[in-house]
Amino acid sequence: MNTDYQYLVGRIQAALAAHPRTNKLDVKIMIAGGKVHLLGQTATEERRLAIAEVVAEAVPDMDVRNELTVMVIGSPCQAEDICD
Amino acid sequence: MIRVAAIADVHFSMDSRGRLRDHWSRLHESADVLLIGGDLTTHGEREQARVLAEEISVVQVPVVVVLGNHDYHSDDADGVRDEMERAGAVVLEGESTTLQVNGIRLGVAGAKGFGGGFAGACGSAFGEPEMKAFVRHTERIAARLYDELNGLQADYRVALLHYSPVKETLAGERLEIYPFLGSYLLAEAIDKAGADLAIHGHAHLGQEKGVTARGLPVRNVALPVLRRAYAVYNLEHHSAHEADEMAEAVLAQ
Repeated sequence: MNTDYQYLVGRIQAALAAHPRTNKLDVKIMIAGGKVHLLGQTATEERRLAIAEVVAEAVPDMDVRNELTVMVIGSPCQAEDICD
Repeated sequence: MIRVAAIADVHFSMDSRGRLRDHWSRLHESADVLLIGGDLTTHGEREQARVLAEEISVVQVPVVVVLGNHDYHSDDADGVRDEMERAGAVVLEGESTTLQVNGIRLGVAGAKGFGGGFAGACGSAFGEPEMKAFVRHTERIAARLYDELNGLQADYRVALLHYSPVKETLAGERLEIYPFLGSYLLAEAIDKAGADLAIHGHAHLGQEKGVTARGLPVRNVALPVLRRAYAVYNLEHHSAHEADEMAEAVLAQ
């Protein structure tokens, strides 16, 4: 990884953690081909968009690709038996 | 037998209203209690907790929660706790509760937990005051967890945490951040006191199943891990006779 890119990833992670619109710690950030790729899952579409906006504010000179997806919550499946 | 539903890391905010309501309104059909392992909100505001409280209000079984690190972010953990209690949930922070379910006593000892890492790669109370404070915070929580678990008079005992007591349920997370995801001190407390199940969240990229060194089951129920509204664990003790019969059946195969 380009050394400058490492610092950019750190700056983006810090922004996503601290910004009140996101407060998110588990976004995977990849910088490739001069673009910032955001990977992982969010709870809602609103938060998916907010994350990309916060990142764009943190690194205004870079192209941000929002590849996050919104998680669909499934129905509970079969219970697990835990016996001793 | 008692049926324990569990979930963690629901990260509620103002845009979360109704997200779990349908699932939770039917929870009583498959479970006797709901345990929520912290990170109730995205950044610990009372208003966010109030949205989750509305969801909890449809649950028709007892609800027990612990707070997570996100719930402390706005320095209003008391507000989050208050909203949960107004919704009828029992909030545990270094505390325990015993529920009566169909004549069975379920004891739950709950705490947020904290980090520090796991045996062989963990922090120590050494050096700067900040490092000592970090490790001693976990030590205090683990000691309290032991006391609460050990003091429970119940048919089944569950440890409810936010941070992980074992590293097995962290598999999938980056190794570098393990010390921020949990501490072996929590597992040591659980093993020493004994429990039928340990529940935690916090590790979104981890996996559901693990065990302590003593072999007690640990389940990471973070919503991003489960990808479902809750998991259900049926806790059941077998008599010595039943255990012998099961062992014989296995040997006969």
